[in-house]
Amino acid sequence: MSNVSTATFWPLGGTVSKTGIALIIIDMQIDFCAAGGWVDQLGEDVSNTRSVIGPIAEALAAARAAGLTVIHTREGHHPDLSDLNANKQWRTRRHGLGIGDMGKTGRILVRGEPGWQIIPELTPIDGEIVIDKPGKSSFHRTDLAEQLERLGISRLVVTGVTSDCCVQSTIRDGFEHGIECVLLEDCTAAVETRNHEATLEILRAFGGRWGGVADRTAFAAMLETADD
Amino acid sequence: MIESLTDHFARIDANPYAWPFDGEWSPGDTALLLLGFQSGIVRGLAAEAERDVAIRLIEAARRRGLAIIASRRGQDREGGAIARRRAALGDEVSTKGSLDWQFDDGISLPATAIVIDHAGDNAFFGTGLEDILRRRTIRNLLVTGLPTDGLVHATQRAANDMGFECLTVIDACKGTSAARHDAQLRITTFGNGLFGAIASAAAVETALGNHQE
Repeated sequence: MSNVSTATFWPLGGTVSKTGIALIIIDMQIDFCAAGGWVDQLGEDVSNTRSVIGPIAEALAAARAAGLTVIHTREGHHPDLSDLNANKQWRTRRHGLGIGDMGKTGRILVRGEPGWQIIPELTPIDGEIVIDKPGKSSFHRTDLAEQLERLGISRLVVTGVTSDCCVQSTIRDGFEHGIECVLLEDCTAAVETRNHEATLEILRAFGGRWGGVADRTAFAAMLETADD
Repeated sequence: MIESLTDHFARIDANPYAWPFDGEWSPGDTALLLLGFQSGIVRGLAAEAERDVAIRLIEAARRRGLAIIASRRGQDREGGAIARRRAALGDEVSTKGSLDWQFDDGISLPATAIVIDHAGDNAFFGTGLEDILRRRTIRNLLVTGLPTDGLVHATQRAANDMGFECLTVIDACKGTSAARHDAQLRITTFGNGLFGAIASAAAVETALGNHQE
């Protein structure tokens, strides 16, 4: 029996069973949000992306305690870069250090390299799903949609980085797939605060046209009242 | 060499880089994408000015031999999951065949134009559009449409993941608010063009050798 917490957490309300919900943690990799990773090597500030590690760890603990399906994603490319679009490589190389180039954490965003790994604070545990993705959207050229369908999951609680890029793409694609998405605003960040805030405003508009926006406290409250 | 005799166009003066990234664009590898220029959407967003810019681009693309692809958002008479979700949030998706669903009266497409019907925002989702572009060896997309924060951005994000080189034509797009329009364009160009580049229609027309003073 769902009560007011579950009804207000999801934009469309409805009865919620924990078996139909997954927590997804997007791209919390060393290259995006650790000292010495790619973004840090570019001289960009990683304090925004690092600031959400603790809150995501809390949401992850709540999800694990509730027995939710947990999904982690990693953006990365095959070592031969056969899945890397030419314009994507060109744009990243304009930063001075592009995807596939050798940096201090190995080859940038190449599968298996040190910088591509998920940060130690959020390491997946046995039984959790890890999706390797070559694009911004977690659904692009991955089996995420098939896995969700197989598991009977129709609702995604979305966390990770960056809000304006991979997070927004994943929510938009989730909407197309008929998946109800809710972003936890205290568990997502962008390199630039301005783009982060604009993304939240766009997602909130019209009552959550592509997905809702909530926070980890509301997520925990929703889990308290959701059906098993 | 006289510019008008060559198949390759000049790079477009765009932000954050002169488009396309490698300078390769020609009638054979480029399409003009028109998203959601339908009666109901043009009226709902009061986007007559943006529609008129799109009309200019259709004419320029037609003259220079670019592929023209137009998309319509619509729901079947029996509805569907996306349309039901939209309706619950107060965003009615027009029913196929209705007056609001039709292309705006000002949008006159050549017989060779390709029309894509889709239920959500992303014109690639479940439509075969990617296959159509690949078979025609199209790799560059000039993106126009309504709204910027809906059909335009959803479709351009998908195209970008697929490797298509995208340029948003900023005055041929309008958002559900000016702030959302600006924000999506800013996100598009962030990080050396995370989702491509942006330019005015005039810059596109100049590169097409078709600019009217």
